[in-house]
Amino acid sequence: MADSDTPLGGRPGSAGVNPGEEKAEFLAALCAQVGATGKPWTARDPVSEPVIRAWCDAMADGNPLYTSPDRAAAGPYGGIVAPPAMLQVWTMVGLHLGGPPERAVEDTPSAGVYQLLDDAGFVGVVATNATYSYDRLLRPGHLLTGTQTLAEVSEEKSTGLGVGHFVTTETLYTDQDGSRVGSMTLRILKFRPGTGRQGPEDDTAEERQVRPRPATNRSTDWFWDGCRAGQLRIQACDDCGHLQHPPAVRCLSCGGADLSHTVASGRGTLYSWAVPHYPQAPAFDYPLVVGLVELEEGVRLVSNVTGVRPDQLNVDMPLELHWLDTDDDTTLHQFRPAAPRRRDSTLAAGDLEVGHRLPLSPVPIDTLLIVSTALATRDFQDVHHDPDAARAKGTPDIFMNILTSCGIVSRWIGDWAGPDVGWQSIDLRLGAPNHPGDTMTLSGSVTAVKSTDGHDLVTVGFEGANSLGTHVSGTAELVFGDLPGDRA
Amino acid sequence: MSRGAAGRAAIIGIGATEFSKNSGRTPMELAVESCEAALADAGLPAEKVDGIVTFSAEQNLEIEVARNLRIPALRHFSMVPHGGGAACGTIGQAAAAVHAGSADYVLCYRAFNERSWHRFGSGVQGRHGGAESFDISFSWTSPFGLLTPASWVAMFATRYMHQYGATSEDFGRVAVADRRHAANNPAAFFHEQPITLADHQESRWIVEPLRLLDCCQESDGGQALLVTTVERARDLAPTPAVIAAAAQGATDDQQAMRSYYRDNIAAIPEMGLCARQLWEATGLGPDDIQVANIYDHFTPLVLPQLEEFGFCRRGEAADFLRDGNIELGGRLPINTNGGQLGEAYIHGMNGIAEAVRQVRGTSVNQVDGVEHALVTSGTSVPTSALILGQDS
Repeated sequence: MADSDTPLGGRPGSAGVNPGEEKAEFLAALCAQVGATGKPWTARDPVSEPVIRAWCDAMADGNPLYTSPDRAAAGPYGGIVAPPAMLQVWTMVGLHLGGPPERAVEDTPSAGVYQLLDDAGFVGVVATNATYSYDRLLRPGHLLTGTQTLAEVSEEKSTGLGVGHFVTTETLYTDQDGSRVGSMTLRILKFRPGTGRQGPEDDTAEERQVRPRPATNRSTDWFWDGCRAGQLRIQACDDCGHLQHPPAVRCLSCGGADLSHTVASGRGTLYSWAVPHYPQAPAFDYPLVVGLVELEEGVRLVSNVTGVRPDQLNVDMPLELHWLDTDDDTTLHQFRPAAPRRRDSTLAAGDLEVGHRLPLSPVPIDTLLIVSTALATRDFQDVHHDPDAARAKGTPDIFMNILTSCGIVSRWIGDWAGPDVGWQSIDLRLGAPNHPGDTMTLSGSVTAVKSTDGHDLVTVGFEGANSLGTHVSGTAELVFGDLPGDRA
Repeated sequence: MSRGAAGRAAIIGIGATEFSKNSGRTPMELAVESCEAALADAGLPAEKVDGIVTFSAEQNLEIEVARNLRIPALRHFSMVPHGGGAACGTIGQAAAAVHAGSADYVLCYRAFNERSWHRFGSGVQGRHGGAESFDISFSWTSPFGLLTPASWVAMFATRYMHQYGATSEDFGRVAVADRRHAANNPAAFFHEQPITLADHQESRWIVEPLRLLDCCQESDGGQALLVTTVERARDLAPTPAVIAAAAQGATDDQQAMRSYYRDNIAAIPEMGLCARQLWEATGLGPDDIQVANIYDHFTPLVLPQLEEFGFCRRGEAADFLRDGNIELGGRLPINTNGGQLGEAYIHGMNGIAEAVRQVRGTSVNQVDGVEHALVTSGTSVPTSALILGQDS
């Protein structure tokens, strides 16, 4: 992967080769096992439908080839297959509260490196890059074995999270017959908490100012009561049914005085927008996107549009409603790009050209998503479920694990491509973490199309951005059309 | 104004303070100075004045101005609402008053320290409560961060760009023309400071899609104009600038600055209403106008104004600008004083004074053969417009 030494805003070379003898010795110890290959590690359980279903539930992946026996039987593979993005899941060490695992994690060459780093205070851990290549589809019953090689340990680097070392491993996956099914290159950063450029949390920060509150009277309070109740209400004339916004005291169509309201569906499109940069009011986050939203009921209203960068705004883009509590008494309607629908029939070879854009997809991040997906990917690292542990390791809150970033990106691409799309590889580079309360918006486009033998090899470049920056970026290689025979 | 007043009144005096970012004086001093200058220009003693029309946004009360000018009696006094939309409306109401005989000489003025005192562009950040309809109206926009005039206008600009294919550069052409005209005007804040389209494109965002150079700058200053009947005007020294017609307009689910709910927000129907009234009252059309002051607090809304008056077809103003029509020597030179982007932002009153100079033949950017000059007032609010002409 290109320029992989600088995730998280790292400055390659700024920490450089440290002339200090101690550091040189430490680095030598870290690198002693580079090139070593650990013992093959066979999964406890074979690929199975319940584990696939749990993963699909957590990732919101509705591809029927993963979970619906009938649909899968009629599909290109003749039966249930596992999501390719689950490749790493099957050999995860898992949770062993009742006793040690049959195979100790210490058997991998990276384990010794992690221990050295932990002992030296580099206790923080984040995954920064992962490349998965998929040689064959997995089906229930496959039993995977992973064999890890320690590929590289970096010199000390200065990154946004802190001073640390990047550790790169390469894992080869084989099935019960010894046939290769895929591989993974994973790079993690072990860092010293508190040494990042972000610095410690400032507890003395001024309490955030609240946004201007809506002024209300008896002619409009029903609207704001509705917001608090999770209903976007539109004034409706009891006589002629006319809908209008902002509310008035007479029907603007027939003059009727008997006015009530209807509840909007929450679906609409962007009619126009403005992005204030200056002056900045302290209650708002900038850049602030303010949209004029045309509801499908036919009225317009002003709202923030969240989960989208100004350069991603398009008049007429589909939007969906959500809510924001701005103080104890105030809930405001907000809109974000509407989640794209899953395609039922797969795109065909020849359907795609370079530049074709994938639909924006906002992914609201909350604790439930982070924890449930960590569990569904069998990742029990405490930074993905325990806020205190996460803080002790240098991050302000729990954060999404890389297997989930991979899973959600794969689900979004699969929803766009269609259920039968073939997967060759996915390459992810991680940056700003996904913490609860944020929204990650996925965007991407086709960057290459190669046509051969009745199928197209299509490369998709993607990015998932949250309020802190780019959470994930990378590329995926997909196959449309007749799949090469050996892949199924 | 009533159709009967068309062509029956004239502007006979204009007067202004200097335009600055810090006047060093109170707004009342600016108001009185500008009124004194207008009276001196006309050669009329203050005791003859018996009417005052100003903006409802004006903070200098007419009675205090009258007291300072030693005006003994006011028979007509009124205010026109909606900020810069009032400018031509004050002249129209003054013209109606002198035509109806409710006053003989009417002063119209606007004076403020909108830069050195309360900054006008800072908007409504502090507005939180109240139950009157004006307070309520902000509830639909302020909680979402639309707090400033630039932000309210940006919503129209984005839609206009989408519907008609106009670009940020097209908006920039308005700023370039204004600043080129201002460069020749010693009274302009940006005297001898022209800009290029590249300067415009490099200027920072204020509210996308508006850049810094799309926005007029808050100003300190005052501008006054004196209106009387054409007959009385002929007894005074200056060339009368006859008020061929003036009109006000509010229509089509009109809101203050935020008429976001009408069918087409890329048009300005209240300005179209003014245009139709002016053409009807005067029998004139776009081809009869040689020079115009098109309200330019923000450049994007200049484009639909040109369309509402029929200088080009709907959605084609960008082409009109690209062809250089709005600069000196073009089909319709606009804002020959530099406009509000280049001279000063006195809520459109300085644009009316420039139209008077064009009719008199005394502009620093004089257009040849001016028979009629058009002036428009604030856009995105209930507005007004007028046509000045020669005394025949």
